[in-house]
Amino acid sequence: MTILIQYTLVYASILSLVALGGCFSEHSGVINLGLEGTMVIGALGGALTMNAIEGSLPGLMVVLIALISAALSGLVYTMLLAVAAIHFNADQTLVGTAMNMLGVAFATVVVKAINLSHDSSNVSAAVKYRTAQSYFVIKIGSMRLSWFMIIAFAAVIISFVVLYKTKFGLRLMACGEHPQAADSVGINVYKMRWAGVLISGVLGGLGGLTYIAINNGECEFNTGVCGYGFLALAVMIFGKWKPQNIFLASLLFGFFRALSSVYMGIGWLNNMHIPNAVYIMLPYIISLIVLALTSKNSAAPKAEGIPYDKGAR
Amino acid sequence: MKKILKNDGFQSFVASIICILIGLLVGFIALLIIEPSGAVDGMLAIIKNFMGYSSDVARTKYFANTLVYTAPLLMCSLSILFSYKVGMFNIGAAGQYVVGVAAAIYAALILHWSWFPCMVLAALAGVVWAVIVGLLKAYCNVNEVISGIMLNWIGLYITNIVLGAAKMPSSPYTYSLAKYADTAVIPNIGLDKMFKSPYAGLALPLAILFAIVIWVILDKTKLGYELKATGCNKNAAKYAGMAEKKNIVLTLAISGGLAGLGGAFLYLTDITQWFLGANSVPDMGFNGIAAAFLGGLNPIGTIFASYFLEHIMQGGSHLDLTTYCPEVSDMISAIIIYLCGFVGFMKYVMNKRRDTKKGGEE
Amino acid sequence: MEQEYVIEMLNITKRFPGIVANDNISLQLKKGEIHALLGENGAGKSTLMSVLFGLYPPEEGVIKKDGKEVKINNPNDANDLGIGMVHQHFKLVECFTVLENIILGVETTKGGILQKDDARKKVMELSDKYGLAIDPDALISDITVGMQQRTEILKMLYRDNEILIFDEPTAVLTPQEIKELMQIMKNLAAEGKSILFISHKLAEIMEVADRCSVLRKGKYIGTVNTSETTMEKLSAMMVGRDVNFHVEKAPAKPADVVLSVENMTVASKSHKKNAVNNVSLNVHAGEIVCIAGIDGNGQSEFVYGLTGLEPLASGKLVLNGKDITHDSIRKRNVEGIGHIPEDRHKHGLVLDYSLEDNLILQNYFEERFVNKFGFLKRKNIRDYANKLIEGYDVRSGQGPITRVGSMSGGNQQKAIIAREIERDPSLLIAVQPTRGLDVGAIEFVHKQLVAERDAGKGVLLVSLELDEVLDVSDRILVMYEGEIVGEFDPKTVTEDELGLYMSGAKRDEVTVK
Repeated sequence: MTILIQYTLVYASILSLVALGGCFSEHSGVINLGLEGTMVIGALGGALTMNAIEGSLPGLMVVLIALISAALSGLVYTMLLAVAAIHFNADQTLVGTAMNMLGVAFATVVVKAINLSHDSSNVSAAVKYRTAQSYFVIKIGSMRLSWFMIIAFAAVIISFVVLYKTKFGLRLMACGEHPQAADSVGINVYKMRWAGVLISGVLGGLGGLTYIAINNGECEFNTGVCGYGFLALAVMIFGKWKPQNIFLASLLFGFFRALSSVYMGIGWLNNMHIPNAVYIMLPYIISLIVLALTSKNSAAPKAEGIPYDKGAR
Repeated sequence: MKKILKNDGFQSFVASIICILIGLLVGFIALLIIEPSGAVDGMLAIIKNFMGYSSDVARTKYFANTLVYTAPLLMCSLSILFSYKVGMFNIGAAGQYVVGVAAAIYAALILHWSWFPCMVLAALAGVVWAVIVGLLKAYCNVNEVISGIMLNWIGLYITNIVLGAAKMPSSPYTYSLAKYADTAVIPNIGLDKMFKSPYAGLALPLAILFAIVIWVILDKTKLGYELKATGCNKNAAKYAGMAEKKNIVLTLAISGGLAGLGGAFLYLTDITQWFLGANSVPDMGFNGIAAAFLGGLNPIGTIFASYFLEHIMQGGSHLDLTTYCPEVSDMISAIIIYLCGFVGFMKYVMNKRRDTKKGGEE
Repeated sequence: MEQEYVIEMLNITKRFPGIVANDNISLQLKKGEIHALLGENGAGKSTLMSVLFGLYPPEEGVIKKDGKEVKINNPNDANDLGIGMVHQHFKLVECFTVLENIILGVETTKGGILQKDDARKKVMELSDKYGLAIDPDALISDITVGMQQRTEILKMLYRDNEILIFDEPTAVLTPQEIKELMQIMKNLAAEGKSILFISHKLAEIMEVADRCSVLRKGKYIGTVNTSETTMEKLSAMMVGRDVNFHVEKAPAKPADVVLSVENMTVASKSHKKNAVNNVSLNVHAGEIVCIAGIDGNGQSEFVYGLTGLEPLASGKLVLNGKDITHDSIRKRNVEGIGHIPEDRHKHGLVLDYSLEDNLILQNYFEERFVNKFGFLKRKNIRDYANKLIEGYDVRSGQGPITRVGSMSGGNQQKAIIAREIERDPSLLIAVQPTRGLDVGAIEFVHKQLVAERDAGKGVLLVSLELDEVLDVSDRILVMYEGEIVGEFDPKTVTEDELGLYMSGAKRDEVTVK
């Protein structure tokens, strides 16, 4: 049971971080379908950093630096979206898709290049960071929690405060709902949208690092993050673009994902002899059902996905 | 001359060329960073692909292999293009392709069907997979991109389950069709001799035929008129009495059928077998997006775009694999898709330049 | 020395691709005056005000505040100079509260956290002082259009603006609400605020404004004191010729019932009450029946219900004796409903399609346009399009192959009217058919409606413009909160009387004729 809770929390951390990222971007008016790729790049930045500095610095420093590099990698990567969507009126779906493909391809190229440069017969796309990963673990009794859960929980609270209690949040949401109104009271819509997209990059990057931390101290970069960026978008929609609901939604999705990792340890579930693949499919199937039930009356920001053109009459 | 510059098709062509050039440039820079000394050779290897071989036989053979891979890519790009014209982004083509593969191989190896019914089943599988997306969109307002992605993953795992029955005991791949179900292999219609490759056959001609059919449907028929109207302005389509929901589902059904057939077009040539340990959705459907946009969203244009992308991608395997990895090609392809997002802007600039020039003359 | 003018816009020129929206226009605003800016749709009024408000930079000309030249590059600059604007289409965020909308852009914070208490106090004080009743905590999506406008006015006052621009503020109000607004404007002017009032309604200008500047087709025509002019003179200045606003028509000869609506109810998408509640009415052949009312009182939903764009919750529709309640949109169109929709860009046209393809939007499936294999007969389509283009004088750059999105609003509307009338419907539904058109195009539309009536068709006109309601219709039905609350003869009823019904102050039991 504790292990089920532990895994649920791990997956919920990934999903809530990334979903909050999507939430900021969409509240500013830009749909970030490139979160999947952003996660990969964030994971890449984090993994390479951990690989490079593990053992040479105290644990807490490694944790901090890994987090910063993942966040920065994500931030830099989403600039691709910001430029295209905010200044060039590009099709946001197309750009997001390209970013997802580019994320995996770029990470694979980088990691393979590094591996090949050390050993020309090593064609794997794996990065190792076993020691560094252990720094993230916090043991409470028999539970193995991690820094990521604390960060994800903090992100939920901070996002709530930022969106609903600050000037920045008010202005950000105005840009996603009615950019002309925001412009007419002197808010720079382009700037706010940049902010929304870049925040989604930071959170997406952190989510990517969290994702690879579930592995056993090693990550293969040529498979990407298995649709987690999109599961996070489903979580965001289910959570009606509100941080507090996103938190609850991610716990639900996390639970179903956790089942596939731990069902073998739960006697009656294991006895049902359901193929492993069914458990792995579960989060995707659940998200389809959830979307079908909740999309009818969308709570999406009204102006999301629509490029803002100041000169348009 | 002015007329040519103003022509939308010409502008699309120029924009595509710009995308390709920048994509290749970025690929080249990547090679330079990884290992400067082999970068030029590496880039040439990608661009030359089969032309890098010295013997005629090898050249035609590898040319043929590139063509074999072009057929499914073209089908996937048609799938994406068709639904995009009706205002939907069928990213689920990747999953529709995968279930098409599952259906084709299952029909061939387990049901022992011949090639044609195998293809039909593959198309039907794609249709079913796409219709789910369509129904969710039409009746539950679910964004087709997100449901498409979810179905891609579900399709992948289901394919692994279904094709478990056709797995070779000693390897993680399915049985070879040529050995165990030769009636299911797509007829070569003599092309195997011409290209000196056992895999060359009916698939690519069929795919090109489909491209032409799609072009005719979209451009010349009542159905195309209706579907494009729905894509441009679904409210006006509804106002004019067009059945919006039916059109959404119908469009995705056609799209899914194309992508599903694409799966059959590759695996029924027996050039490759399904890897049962697959834990990521094959790129074919996603590369279809690149081909569709690179082809200027014109069915005929996508024929050339599909070939070009496949050429580059196959070229990636000719890199010196002790220094570089073939994924450089994937990166180039992804960059090209990204740049396709700027095509609208490029056309705007081209039109503006033309206008200012005209203004200067007056 | 005290400057006479608070704001001077001198020799302003602003171009958009293809047109000169403002051509060398000058405007001078005195302190404490109400200055009207008069002109037709498309005369350049809104553009000029957008330039003053910093939304568009002008290509030429200077702006002076209190005699000193200033640069206004964005709304912040305008705000710093004390210029505020109530836009024609309100710039309010629907999911925010009234208070949040007022403070947006000028928020006060403490330690990064929003502070709303002081703002609330100031807003309530202003609200009391000028008689602008609002509920600060209501969501914009839940309040009336009138309160939304008051929110916009408070937005300006909260920013201590001295120069207030009102862009067509009366278009969405009832006659009574208009009177209230006029009083508010007079109060504001008496407190020393200077007001620019954009309108094309002569009576309102004569009532409230001190001076009036007239624009026509992007050019400055002149400025006059309202006390020294007449409506006729202003009208001639605005249009450039003497116009007869009155529509020439013979008395109606109503014949058989074309459309009969029985107890129609349409559910609302935004709130729990019905958008259309138990409406019954008849439209006869040879008459123009007009549904009058304030925007948002169920007229749109009523038409959607008639045409099939929205399902009915209950009720029955009979067209030419046939029950069409459960028919599809296509079937209704074929059975004889012609529909000139409220929003030509949303419903009426496929903007990316060519003109010819838009002209067959309602009958592309007929045998003359499609062969039995489903291919379009391009030549027949071209011939048909050319016939309509000529017959209805639809002007465009490249004829039938012009992209409709590149055509002017008036010609787009003509294309829709051509398409709908040419199908020879027995019932023509026209929803705000003259919205955004200039006087010439308005005359054209009105003539077409009357011609259809005289040809023995039933015409159902939905209009928000009282002038149009009184001029064009043969019978007026007033809709208020989804119900028919009064029936009138346009020859005997007054605007004030209609206003009382439109605002819900009075209602009658209406029997179906």
